[in-house]
Amino acid sequence: MEKQELQLLKGFERDSRWFHENIDKLREQNFTGKFVAVANEKPVASDRNIDIVIKSVEKEGKNPAYIFIEFVHPKGFTLLL
Amino acid sequence: MRIPLQVRDFAGGLRAMAQFLIKSEKPHLFGPIESIVDTGSPTTILGMPDMKRMRVSQIQLIDLESRKEPHAYGGGQLKTKILRDAKLRFGEHFECKMDVQIPVEEVTECTQPTILGVDFMEKNKFKLVFDPAKKEAYFESSE
Repeated sequence: MEKQELQLLKGFERDSRWFHENIDKLREQNFTGKFVAVANEKPVASDRNIDIVIKSVEKEGKNPAYIFIEFVHPKGFTLLL
Repeated sequence: MRIPLQVRDFAGGLRAMAQFLIKSEKPHLFGPIESIVDTGSPTTILGMPDMKRMRVSQIQLIDLESRKEPHAYGGGQLKTKILRDAKLRFGEHFECKMDVQIPVEEVTECTQPTILGVDFMEKNKFKLVFDPAKKEAYFESSE
């Protein structure tokens, strides 16, 4: 179980890294303003509504809880926490 | 002990970010999370997108204790409940149990990420080393 958990986290970290390294490419490909699901270093679903992205991920037989999903903010947008 | 963090250009600037697994039995919650380390936030708050990803319904939260005061969060206000003793696991490095705030009302703008707040550092006696110029960040035991 512990090994599976670590693998799950490593896969998530890898997809997170891919997302952040490719954010400009994602913007060029019209993903700005959308949530993007990334699995195995590829975008697998996207939409402005996260509920639709989650349903698409489920349709592919994947558990959305284990999939990296992030919002593509417009270039120049600053998020103040 | 050190927990390595990632320094990433996210939503307008460099941020120290941490990925961890969150686990809770009641309500059932399990999955990896990406969080922004925010020393301006006293509490750790799960983002609404992460709540949705883990398919936590509002019905599952009924029995949880509510936090009395709302959080000012992303320009708005957010009501939360307290998830007691959630287990947070940071790779092979570290695991802890702590209370995590979880949002109970969906805000219009649902893009706010999960925040790893000062409560995490205080509870586990960590200091944050963040060097944006070198793009290096980590938590380190402060004892």
